[in-house]
Amino acid sequence: MAETHDENPVLSEEDDHRVFYIFNPRAGLHTSLPQEKTARPVKKRRVTSKRAWSVSAADHAGVAPHAEEETETTTAVAATAAFSQLFGGKESVEAAGLRRQVFDTAWPVLDGRIKNVLREANRTTLEDVSSFIRDAEGDATRGTRIPAGFIITGPNIASQDLLFEQLSEALGKATQARFVRLRAAGAPNLKAALKKVIRDATAQVSLDGGDGDEDTEVALGRDGRKYLDYDLEGLHAFLGVQQDSSRRVVVAFEDSEAFESSLLTDLLGLFHSWQGRIQFSVLFGIATSVELFQARLLKSTARQLFGAKFDVVQADLVLDNVFKSAIAGTQATLRLGPTLLRSLLDRQRDQVAGIRVFISSIKYAYMCHFYANPLSVLLADEKSLTRQLLQPEHIQAVRTLVSFKAHVEAAVDARQLNHAQLLVEDDGYLVRQMVEQRQKKQDYLMQLLRSLHLLTSMDLVPGRFTDLYVAALAGGLDLTPTIDGIKRLGADDVPALINRLLTAIRTGSPDLDLPGWEDEAEELISSLCEIRDEIEALAEQAQEKGQQALKSKFTAQSKVLRTTVIAQKVQLSQDTAKLTDEDKAFGKAIDALVDLLTHHIYSDPVDSLFLHEAWAYDAEAPYRDVFVPRPGTTFERALTRPHAYLGCECCSKANGTLSATLPTTCILYRLYLETGSLVNVADLWSAYYALVGEDSVDGGLGEREALVQFYHGLAELRLMGFVKSSKKKADHVAKVKWLL
Amino acid sequence: MGDSLFQLPDELLFTTLSQTFPCRDAQIRAVATLLHPHAAPCRNLVIHGTEATGKSAITAALLQALQDDTEKDEPLLRHVIVNSIECITARHLYESTIAKVAEALQWQGGATRCDSVSQMVVELSKMLKYPSYPDNFRFVLVFDGIDRQREAPITLLPALARLSEIIPRITSVFTVTSPPAGFLRTSFVPYIEFPNYTKNEFVTILNTTSLPTAPLPTTTIQETTELWNRFTGAIHDALARSASRTLPALQHACTSLWPRFTAPVLAGTHTPREFSRLMVAARVHFQDESLLDPGIVAVRSYSSSSTTTTTTTTQAQAKDKTAAQLSAPPSQANTPRKAHSTTTTPSKPKATANPLVSATTTDLSTLLPPTARLLLLASYLASHNPTRHDLVLFSTFHHGRRRRRGGLSVGMGRGGHRGAQSKHRKIARKLLGAHAFVLERMLAIFMAVRGEWDPKWLDQDSSSREMDADIEMAIATLASLRLLVKVGGAGAGGVTGDQMDRGGKWRCNVGWEVIRGLGRSMGVEIEEWLVE
Repeated sequence: MAETHDENPVLSEEDDHRVFYIFNPRAGLHTSLPQEKTARPVKKRRVTSKRAWSVSAADHAGVAPHAEEETETTTAVAATAAFSQLFGGKESVEAAGLRRQVFDTAWPVLDGRIKNVLREANRTTLEDVSSFIRDAEGDATRGTRIPAGFIITGPNIASQDLLFEQLSEALGKATQARFVRLRAAGAPNLKAALKKVIRDATAQVSLDGGDGDEDTEVALGRDGRKYLDYDLEGLHAFLGVQQDSSRRVVVAFEDSEAFESSLLTDLLGLFHSWQGRIQFSVLFGIATSVELFQARLLKSTARQLFGAKFDVVQADLVLDNVFKSAIAGTQATLRLGPTLLRSLLDRQRDQVAGIRVFISSIKYAYMCHFYANPLSVLLADEKSLTRQLLQPEHIQAVRTLVSFKAHVEAAVDARQLNHAQLLVEDDGYLVRQMVEQRQKKQDYLMQLLRSLHLLTSMDLVPGRFTDLYVAALAGGLDLTPTIDGIKRLGADDVPALINRLLTAIRTGSPDLDLPGWEDEAEELISSLCEIRDEIEALAEQAQEKGQQALKSKFTAQSKVLRTTVIAQKVQLSQDTAKLTDEDKAFGKAIDALVDLLTHHIYSDPVDSLFLHEAWAYDAEAPYRDVFVPRPGTTFERALTRPHAYLGCECCSKANGTLSATLPTTCILYRLYLETGSLVNVADLWSAYYALVGEDSVDGGLGEREALVQFYHGLAELRLMGFVKSSKKKADHVAKVKWLL
Repeated sequence: MGDSLFQLPDELLFTTLSQTFPCRDAQIRAVATLLHPHAAPCRNLVIHGTEATGKSAITAALLQALQDDTEKDEPLLRHVIVNSIECITARHLYESTIAKVAEALQWQGGATRCDSVSQMVVELSKMLKYPSYPDNFRFVLVFDGIDRQREAPITLLPALARLSEIIPRITSVFTVTSPPAGFLRTSFVPYIEFPNYTKNEFVTILNTTSLPTAPLPTTTIQETTELWNRFTGAIHDALARSASRTLPALQHACTSLWPRFTAPVLAGTHTPREFSRLMVAARVHFQDESLLDPGIVAVRSYSSSSTTTTTTTTQAQAKDKTAAQLSAPPSQANTPRKAHSTTTTPSKPKATANPLVSATTTDLSTLLPPTARLLLLASYLASHNPTRHDLVLFSTFHHGRRRRRGGLSVGMGRGGHRGAQSKHRKIARKLLGAHAFVLERMLAIFMAVRGEWDPKWLDQDSSSREMDADIEMAIATLASLRLLVKVGGAGAGGVTGDQMDRGGKWRCNVGWEVIRGLGRSMGVEIEEWLVE
């Protein structure tokens, strides 16, 4: 969407970040409006679905605010490629430009990292598929069967675009094959599919590009013979001319479930019959399972395939990696807040939303933050963020923040009255504090990531990294969930655990882009080593004394049930097991370890930090509006409360009731809500006419005029999918929509 | 050579052909007689027989041999084989016929465009009728699988059959599966049938063609051959008579069973002479269904070069496992297979957690996210419950027992129509196919059951409980996976053929077994929601 802004700098101002706006095509004629007697026809409906206007700013080009466009052209030109100026237009052009610049530098870094993760995730599959296609040639058991790779991609076919792109690269390289990608939508019938296969395999750009039925001819062979463009003989001749000794063509069916089975049967039969002359291999992207896919094929077709199954890395794992590098990693400029993250992750789990949606959601969050939050300018680096850039409005905005309030209140509570007063009154002091806060933010993030990294490297916490991260942002982080785990460890496990922690400190985490922090954690390292050595020494001592293994007060069952048989009666008695000195020392060592780790593994919730609004984004609503729109609700709202969109006075009076001044479609919708499954059009008409006709109180439309509007409204209802014509009864339409 | 009126081709030719195509001697001779220029060349010839009886292969080989045979002094025979499977349209058939004829005659400047059969006749006449050829010159046009020609006009076959009336040099050979009587609309067409092989023939063929080349390690080649002989006979009796009648299928069954069958010999427990003991030992393998229906996945794990014996065990294990899975609940079915899944990707242990051998039911429920699963369940209910019971089943006002079995006596005896319906209901509805439903109804069912099946959903605030784009995306995904199918064409009764048209009709395309597994994966016994 950044590109869209580039193309339409004029259109992106003002309206994009509002929930809705009043569309007034006749802004210039405003003054003359009251003179016009016929108020009704002036009203032009703009029932805007949120999806339509938020997702693509390009849509705006057609209909959107020409009026404002003209008045603000001058400023827009001045701030070319910048975001619109906030603070009601008082923000300086430089500040807006800087926000844009920060976004432009922040996003590509992440984008590159995400792409890298995705590419890396597919690597194993790619290698397997390539080697299968290569080896299938020499496989004696294959016979004349077509080598077929079934790639289990999971239900989100759309996100497998990258995989097939990579496959095409890798296979082209590994086997010198020509790679053709087929999608069900692009290949509705045999001819179209073959045309695409031949066109792509010969890499000829066809100008007509259609999948029409007209038979065009292509000259491919050496002798200039023309072939029908669905004739594989042409491909054969082309490969002969190209001196392509292998004559391999790999055809990939990306969404194989969506293909008609008869089409698949035909295509495979054809490929099979050409098998000796052109080495066809096929790949199927399978979303459900090979068994279901096989059930759709004829047995005779199935017999022509020589298949192998490949699994793509599970979406969960990819999600985790993307999350680590793009959201949690140190490279991320903007922190996404826990609420938004929770809803993003939930959506990934519950809905059919691929990793692509996740990535665009992150990007959208970035865009929203830098576009609509003037304080995001604080994320710029020190060079470009000068004191002049910060306007009084920025200072004022900071003072209105919730976190500012909390910070000042905390200062007051802590009896730092001077500090609090200066914050409120002295602009210069506040700016210095803001600059200081940048370092504090860095420290906070480092502490958070290091703690998380230590926690996960302990391998004691169940649950995924994503959940831990979100929980840490929302409610802070400490050692509590693992304390029990640590205490229950045996004497052998504790040194191993400490070693794991030491490696974690030394190497950091490449996924998170977190470097090792050996230098800064000397104290921690030495204490850890101390504890480890102590425990090892204790274990040795215990062994020398002939004790089985060290027990701590946590592991050893403190109470042992003792059974004594006296005079054929069983007596049960409880006894405390005795701990040796070594055991006691071991328990102390573990206590020390827990204390040490508690001291080092902690993190506060993100919203406890002063000025976190500048670098953390936690608004769920814009994301939901764009990525999970509710068109039904939007329609319903627009039709029941049109004045919210039209901004006219006449309708707002009729809040919730029927009124003749409502637009026709809205009136008809109200009437429609009261009908049964079949709507008698004549009844609808008479009800409508009773409301707006000459006899009514505030209507006064002539019959012919009313009829035209009635038809118009009904046609619009039909267009929106509320009614459809019915054959069940004459003069009736069927009600289609019951739910929103 | 041309002296005598009737002269069969050289006997040597037949013997070589008979060696390549055993047990087809009579057919080869008959076809040769009817095609050879010096014998009894006919105008049209229909070669018919079921799948894999050697029709096309023998015709091609014979024609090539005859052509080479008659080449000695002057060209007497030329032939062209047009495979209808490779021809997408009738025009494609005509054009490739002309192109191939031109190529066979080394004719320059044949037409490139040919739209109709009459145009083809003109072109063929140019090449075959007017130029001078030696006496007795014959041109054989073989239309292979012409009964399966796509987009064939109704006049195609009769027209092709009359080619030789216009161009007498032509012999048209039609290779078909089972010709209807008089399908060429011409009289005096010889038919040669290629019948399926008998048991003896099968055994002979398998002996000559796919005899294991290397003898079993502990035995002599003589013993191996004998064992193979009896083995193929047994296979034929066990499988071919009832199920796999074609030669390739039988061949596949033999080659895949052979290693399992001879495993005891290799292990040294039996000698190759003890055929009946071997049979008893291998009886389990004869029940393996994958012999008849090998499936599309031929290579279980291609990267590890598995020997035949290991594949044997893996297949046997896989079979046991699937059998075990059927009884085990789906949640547990995953665990035993983890050990078995051959690790193809050592670096990513999670990727292999998805087992290579997997059952359909577990697959779908792990693949689809919960919303899509719920939608699929709802659409199954919509497909399999009659509309009139919706109120009973899903109404929130009706808190009694949701399921009503058997009852419904209201409609009984209210006239013939109802009676017929109640008789119809005797068949369990889930055995009948899925019925079409209106999308709106399915969504209503979905909304009604969602609260009950997905407790988490009720926790959300009411504003986010409405129909949103995620649901529509799930429907679109299910449709693209063909788990939901739109019934009726694009413009059938709607304003547009849009997928999201609420008036559109849909059908659930998933079977009962899968749905039950899917329901259980969500903790729903779907049976309780089905009327009858």
